[in-house]
Amino acid sequence: MIRVLGHGLLGLVREGRTLLLLTVVGVSLGVGSVVAIQTLNQGALQAFGGSVRAVSGQADLTVLGTVPTIDPALLPRVLADPAVRDAWPLCRLDAALADGSGDLIQIVGFDVFAPVRYPLTRQLDETGSAADPGDLVAAAMAVPGWCAVTPHLAASHGWAVGDTVPVSSGSRLARLVIGALVDFQRYEPLAPVNIAVMDVAQAQALLARPDAIHQIDIVLAGDEDPGTAAARLQRNLGPGVRVLTPEQRAEDAAGLLAAFRLNLTALSLISVFVGLFLVLASVQASLVRRRREFGVLRVLGMQPRQVLVLILAEAGVLGLLGVAIGIPTGFRIALWNVETVSATLTSIYVLEEISRLVLTPTVIIIGTAVGLGGALCGAVLPALDMSRRGVVELLSPLTMHEGARRTAVPLALLAVAAMTAGLLWFVAAGGGNRYAGFILGFVMLIGLPLLVPGVIRAAGAPLRPRGLGWVLSLRNLTIRLRTSSFAVAALAVTISMMVGITLLVGSFRQTLVTWLDVTIRADVYVSTESWIRAGNEAFLDAELLTALGGRPDVQAVETQRRLRVSTADGRHRVWLSGIAFSAVPGVTLASRLPLYAGDPEAVAGRLLASEAVVIGEPLARKAGLGPGDDLVLAGPDGPVSLPIAGVAFDYTSEAGTAFTTLETFGRHFRSDQPNNAALFLQPGADPDAVVAELQRTHRGRPLVFRSNATLRREVLAIFDQTFAVTRTLQTMALFIAACGLALAQLIQVRERAGELALFRALGATRAQISRMFLGEGLAMAGLGLALGLGGGAGLAALLILVINREWFGWTIRPDVPLGALALEVAVILGAALAAGIYPAWKSGLSSPAQLSRDDL
Amino acid sequence: MARWTWLILIAALALPCGAGSDPGWRRAAPGYRWEWPRDHYAHPEFKTEWWYFTGHLEPEDDAGIPGDTLGFQLTFFRLGMVPPGTGTPEAGLAARGGIMAHAAISDATAGDHLFSEVLWRATPLLGGFGAPGDTVIAWCRGPGGTADLWSLGFDGQTFALRASDERRGLAFDLRCRPVKPVVLHGDQGFSAKNAAGTAGSLYAALTRLEVSGSVMRNGAMIRVRGECWMDQEIFTSTLAPDQKGWDWVSLQLADGRELMVYRLFGPEGGEGFGSGTLVAPDGSTTPLADGDFRLEPRDRWRSPVTGAEYPVSWILEVPSAGLDLELRAVMPDQENVSRLSGVHYWEGAVTVRSRGPAGASVGRGYVEMAGYGEGNRPPV
Repeated sequence: MIRVLGHGLLGLVREGRTLLLLTVVGVSLGVGSVVAIQTLNQGALQAFGGSVRAVSGQADLTVLGTVPTIDPALLPRVLADPAVRDAWPLCRLDAALADGSGDLIQIVGFDVFAPVRYPLTRQLDETGSAADPGDLVAAAMAVPGWCAVTPHLAASHGWAVGDTVPVSSGSRLARLVIGALVDFQRYEPLAPVNIAVMDVAQAQALLARPDAIHQIDIVLAGDEDPGTAAARLQRNLGPGVRVLTPEQRAEDAAGLLAAFRLNLTALSLISVFVGLFLVLASVQASLVRRRREFGVLRVLGMQPRQVLVLILAEAGVLGLLGVAIGIPTGFRIALWNVETVSATLTSIYVLEEISRLVLTPTVIIIGTAVGLGGALCGAVLPALDMSRRGVVELLSPLTMHEGARRTAVPLALLAVAAMTAGLLWFVAAGGGNRYAGFILGFVMLIGLPLLVPGVIRAAGAPLRPRGLGWVLSLRNLTIRLRTSSFAVAALAVTISMMVGITLLVGSFRQTLVTWLDVTIRADVYVSTESWIRAGNEAFLDAELLTALGGRPDVQAVETQRRLRVSTADGRHRVWLSGIAFSAVPGVTLASRLPLYAGDPEAVAGRLLASEAVVIGEPLARKAGLGPGDDLVLAGPDGPVSLPIAGVAFDYTSEAGTAFTTLETFGRHFRSDQPNNAALFLQPGADPDAVVAELQRTHRGRPLVFRSNATLRREVLAIFDQTFAVTRTLQTMALFIAACGLALAQLIQVRERAGELALFRALGATRAQISRMFLGEGLAMAGLGLALGLGGGAGLAALLILVINREWFGWTIRPDVPLGALALEVAVILGAALAAGIYPAWKSGLSSPAQLSRDDL
Repeated sequence: MARWTWLILIAALALPCGAGSDPGWRRAAPGYRWEWPRDHYAHPEFKTEWWYFTGHLEPEDDAGIPGDTLGFQLTFFRLGMVPPGTGTPEAGLAARGGIMAHAAISDATAGDHLFSEVLWRATPLLGGFGAPGDTVIAWCRGPGGTADLWSLGFDGQTFALRASDERRGLAFDLRCRPVKPVVLHGDQGFSAKNAAGTAGSLYAALTRLEVSGSVMRNGAMIRVRGECWMDQEIFTSTLAPDQKGWDWVSLQLADGRELMVYRLFGPEGGEGFGSGTLVAPDGSTTPLADGDFRLEPRDRWRSPVTGAEYPVSWILEVPSAGLDLELRAVMPDQENVSRLSGVHYWEGAVTVRSRGPAGASVGRGYVEMAGYGEGNRPPV
C-alpha cells in the first residue's frame, strides 16, 4: 500500500507538477491566511500590557483607576491586605518623539526599589559591563529624564547612552536622557520595542502630574485565591478603582478587540473556504488523470476501501506540504501587515502597538489542522466517488461528468432549500443570536457553490454550437461539468466576498463622509503629537488656549477633554468627551448633532442646561440605552449617573462614546484640562493661511494644527488603513480562485486530449483550439462573476444591515461604489484571462497523433 | 566596624557601593565631632547608615524552662542614592534613597528562626527618617500583608522598636534603655576598614541596653525582659575589592564588660584585617588591634536552604583581657535569607562559656557571618 502511495506521489511529481503545485498552493494559501490572521490577533492581544510585563513580570492582580490616574495613597492600603506579598506603583505615559518623526514612545515609570525583575542589573551582570549598576540606579533617581531604552530603539534613532531626546506629552515638551540600553525583549518577548523605562518619580515629573500613578501591580502571597483577594481589595479600595486579575485584563483586551478579531477571522475563513475548492478541484484532477490507474489496480484486486485510503493519504501528504509552506508564508504575511494592524490598534482602539509577532505553538497547531483538515475535506468527496466506482466506469472517461450532470439539479434545489431555510430561520429566530448573521452568511456561501452545476447546465443547455467558437466554449463547460463547477464555485465565492466587502467599505466610507460633514464644522483643529498617536493623557496648556482665543481671526474656541471610562457595571467601555461648546453665529449646536434619536434643538438645550449626556449609537445598541435612560459611569468617587438627552450617530469607536459639557465632565471626573481645541475663524479668514501662521508661530512645539479639510483627509486615511488587511485577504482569495480557474482548464486539457486531437485531425488550427480554451476560461469567469455579484450583494446586505449593527453598532447607509466595483470586475476578468493563457497554450500543443482508438 | 552584611545587600540590590569615588557624598574621616542625641538621627550627607539592634529576651511568665530565651534583631538601613545638593524630580514619589529593615527572632526552645524584611523608597508614603528632636529616627511600612508600621522611636532616653509581619507570625514591640554610655569604636569613632586606614566608617554603639516589652510567640504577644546591643554606623566608602566576607562578634559578659571584634577575610590565603573594642564595666574602652585577639571557628552547619556552610561554635581568645572563651550558637539555623536582595547571611544568638574545666557561662552575644556560600561574595 505504501509502495502504491509512493508511486502515486512520484507520479504526481513526474507527470502532474502543475496539479501538485496548485494543490499545495491552495492549502498553503488557506493555511497562510489563517496563520497570518491568528498571529496578528494574538499579537494584538499580547501587546496589551506588554510594556508593563517587560518591567515587572506578570502581576497576580492589577489596580486600575476608573479614570486614568489613581491616588498613590491607595498603595499602603493595598499593602495592608493580608493576601498581598508585594505591591508597587506604576506610572505610564505615551509620549511622542519631538524629533520630527512623531514616533510614539511608551514610558513606564516603576519604583526602582520594588521587588520586581531588575533588567538593569541583570543586563549588566550578563554582559559583564564595568559600569556600576548602583550608579545607574542613582542616576535613574537623580538625573531628570533618565531612562533605559531598548538597543533596537536606540539604534533605529541613532541614540547613544548620554544622548538627550526631546519628547512631548500634550503641549508639554520634555527631555529624556538615554541612561542605559536594555534589551527588555530578552526578558519579555512581547515587550514593545519603543519602551522607555524610568523611575516612577521621573515619570510623574515628566507628566507634570506629581501625584499621579496609573496602576498598582500586586503579587499575592499565594495562600489565597486571587479572585477572593481581588474581591476584598475591591471592597476596601472603593468604587474609584478596579482590581483585576490577569484573566480579567485579558478578557478586557479581548472584549475590546472582539469585533475587530472576529472580522479578520471570518475573512481568513473565507480564504480557507476558497482554498478548499482548489484542493477539491486539484484532487479531482489528479483522480481524473489516474482513473485508468485505479481501474487497473481494481482489476488487480485492490479493494474500494484501499482506493479511498490511498487517495486520502495522498491528499494528507500534499496537505502537510501545503502546511509546511503555508505557515511560514502566513507568518510573513502577518509581518508585512503588522504595521497597518498596529496603526489600527493605536488609532482606533488606543491600545499598545504590536512591536513583535511570535509564531506560537497554538497558531502552528491551528494552521496544521486547517491545512491537513482542509486537504482531507477537499479530497474526501472525490475519493469516495472514485472508490465506489466500478472498474468499467473507471476505464471510461465521460461517465464521471455524467454523474455530475445528474446531480446538478438536485444540488441546486438543495442550495435553494438551504438558503431559504437559513433565511427563514434568521427572520424567525436570528434576532436573539449574535452569530445569526455569520451563520446565515456561511449558509449563503455554502449554498452558492451548490447552485453552480445547475447554473452552468442552465446556461449551456440551450446552446447549439456551430464550429469552434465561443458558444462551443460555454457548451463545453456543461459537458465537463464536474471540473468547471469547482472552478466557477470557487470564483463565485471569492467574488461574493470581494463584492460584499467592497459594498460594505464603500457604503461605510460614504456614510462616514456624510457624518463628517455634520460633525467636523470648525475651521482649524489643534491637537498634539502625543494625543494623535496615543490618545490618553496629553493636554493643551492654558496659556496656549488663551493665546489662540485672543487671535483677531478667531471667532470662538471649543475645547475637548476625552477619557476612556467604564459603565458602572463594568460591561461597557465608553470614550467620554467633555466639550466646552462655544456659541458660533451660524453654526448652532443643534445643527452639529448627528442625531439618531431625539430632537436636535431639544437635545442641544438639555445638553447645555443640565447634566445631560448624548451617547453614540454603538453604545446605545450594545447597552440598550436611549433618551430618557441614565448613563451610569464608574467615576473616581463612585458611580456617576448622567441622563441621556439623545443618541447620535458615531463612527469614532465601536466601544461606545458619549459626550457632555466640559463643566459636567470636570465636576464628575476631576479633570477638565483639554486634549484638543477647535477654532472657528472669523468670516473670510483662510483656514490654510491660519494653519500656516500657527505652525510658524509655534514652531518647535509639539502642536499639530489641521484645517477642516486636512482633518477629514486624515480621518478617511485612518478608515482606509483599517481595511488594508482586508484587501490583502481579498487579494489572496482572488489568487486562489485564479489558480482554481487555471487548474480547471488544465484538467480539461488533460481530460480532452483525445477530443482535441480529433479537432486537430479534422483541421482545427492550434489558434482555434487555444481560443476555445480562452473562451472557456472567460465563460467560467463570467458565470462566477454573475453568481458572485449576486452572492456579494446578499453578503453586503448581511454585513451592513445585520453584522455591523450587531457587532459594531453602526448604522451604515447602503451605497454602491460603482467605480470600485467596475475596477474589481476588470481585475477578475483580467485574472481569469491570465489564468487561461497557460492552459490555452498547452491545449494548442495537441497533435492529431494523440488520437487513439478509444477516443474514436 | 560592624554589620558588613549590609554591604552585600546594598551591592546585590545594585545600590551604590562601588569602590570608586562618590562625588557629592561626605566621606567618613577621623576627627568627626560626635554630639548626642543629635547623632542618633540620620546623617543624610553620608551615603549609607544603619541602626542595628540585637539582644536576648526572657519571657516574664517563664514557665520554668531553663535557658528559655529569645534572640532578636531589628535593623534599619538608610540607602542614600541622590547626594545632597543634587535635585530630585518634582514628584510625589521622589526620593533621595531607600529604607530597608530586617527583623528576626531566634526561639531556641521551639527551634524557630523567623526572619522578615522590607525595602522601600524613602518617600512620605512608604518610609523615611526623622530629624534631630523628632520622636522617630526611622520608620517604614511593614511587609506586604501587614498593616502596621515598622519604626525606631526615640524619646531622648529610650529607644522604641516596633516591627511585625503577620504572615510570618513575627512581631515585637520593645523599649530599650541604655545603661552604659555611648562607645566610640576605633579612633574616636572612626573605624578603619583596612590596615592603611584609607577607608573606614563612623561607628558608635550602645553596648548594653535594658529591654522590656512584648514579642509574638506562637501567635500571641508575650511580655519579655532582657538586654540588647545597638550599633550605629555611618559611611560612604566601602570594602576593598579583595575582601570576601567577615565575621563579627558582640559579647555582653556577666562581669559587666562588653567585647566587640570583627575580622574581614579575603579569598583563600588572602590577607585579612581585624579590629575590636573591649568595654569595661564603667564604660571605658580599650581598642583591640588585629593581633590582640584570636577568633577560631570550630563546628560547622550547612544551610539546607542556601547550601552555605557556617561555623556555629568558635574559640575567642583575648589574652590581654584574660578572656579564653567558647562561643556556641543557641541553635544552628539562624540564617537570614533575604528574598528582596537575594543574599544570605548568618546572624544569631550565641552562648559564651569560659574554656576552663568548669566551662561556666560567662555571658551571651551575637555573631554575624557574611560572604559564606557560593556566589554570595560582596561585590564591593
